[in-house]
Amino acid sequence: MTTQFDRIFHGLSPEVGKFRVAASGMAWKGADSEGVIAIPASHIDWAQWMRVARGFQLRIGMRDDKREHRTEKFDGFAREDQDKISSLLKTHFGKSLETKEVSFKGWNWGTTDFQGNNLAFLVSDRTAFELPLTQVNNSNMASRTEVTLEFSSVSSSAKTPAKSMGDEMVEIRFHVPGVHTKLKGSGSDD
Amino acid sequence: GSGGKEGKGWKKFQSYKGEGALPSEVERLRIYVDRKAQTVILPMHGSAVPFHINTIKNASKNDEGEFTILRINFQTPGQLAGKKEDTPFEDPDATFIRSVSYRSPDGHRFDNICKQITDLKKEANKREQQKKEMAD
Repeated sequence: MTTQFDRIFHGLSPEVGKFRVAASGMAWKGADSEGVIAIPASHIDWAQWMRVARGFQLRIGMRDDKREHRTEKFDGFAREDQDKISSLLKTHFGKSLETKEVSFKGWNWGTTDFQGNNLAFLVSDRTAFELPLTQVNNSNMASRTEVTLEFSSVSSSAKTPAKSMGDEMVEIRFHVPGVHTKLKGSGSDD
Repeated sequence: GSGGKEGKGWKKFQSYKGEGALPSEVERLRIYVDRKAQTVILPMHGSAVPFHINTIKNASKNDEGEFTILRINFQTPGQLAGKKEDTPFEDPDATFIRSVSYRSPDGHRFDNICKQITDLKKEANKREQQKKEMAD
């Protein structure tokens, strides 16, 4: 038996497609390009669920026969799909769907955490965003407390008209205080 | 402060309580100014990341050939203090986002977003000023 989810995106692509889950594995098929992303059941290592811009994201950690790791991301799921996906993963693959908690506080301070190929920014221990380090094409330190990351252009490889695309982040600068000695004000907090 | 760990003079603020409060416009993966929540939502590699106007210092726009660059500068510790009173921070030792830059071929839209952010900041500053005057 196959369960299908419509209007699902693969990665950051603007193309919608269908996402199917069956005992043999999972697959995404693009509506326009007819491109297929297939995930055999035996390659599924873990699964995560998190809120992103385009609804909810199902993230699948894979490990192939050569034991190489890969992550595939699918956006566009509805809030209500969580239970369905969760039980499908359990039934077909014996995997549980882990929920990644996301911060919506709107703060610009937190901690950075390297998670695989991603640099995650956490606010109050919840993920605010993740930056794929594979897309960083330059980084530098302007001072002892400032780190800049520049990103390579993604729009040059896209076929869609530029104006219909999302806004492209090209640079982010962090203020990293590092190991400064904390100045204690009142002295009441020993 | 109730928690005891908050920096001196820092007043708590928050954009959204949960994901359900995010405006539906974020699905377009474009910068969105949510005036009601006093928040600018930035698309960051697929995520919709809110930044409360209190964290934003200013926004500027630059034309570079056929593209327009929008840069948003944030409040961080250690900047040259223009004002006599320094901005209080919850945790000055945390890692801060200092600025984020975006690129678009649609200069008019970035022009508009830049204005919206500047206006939102003006409103927030004005409210802050009024609060101070009331307290005096």
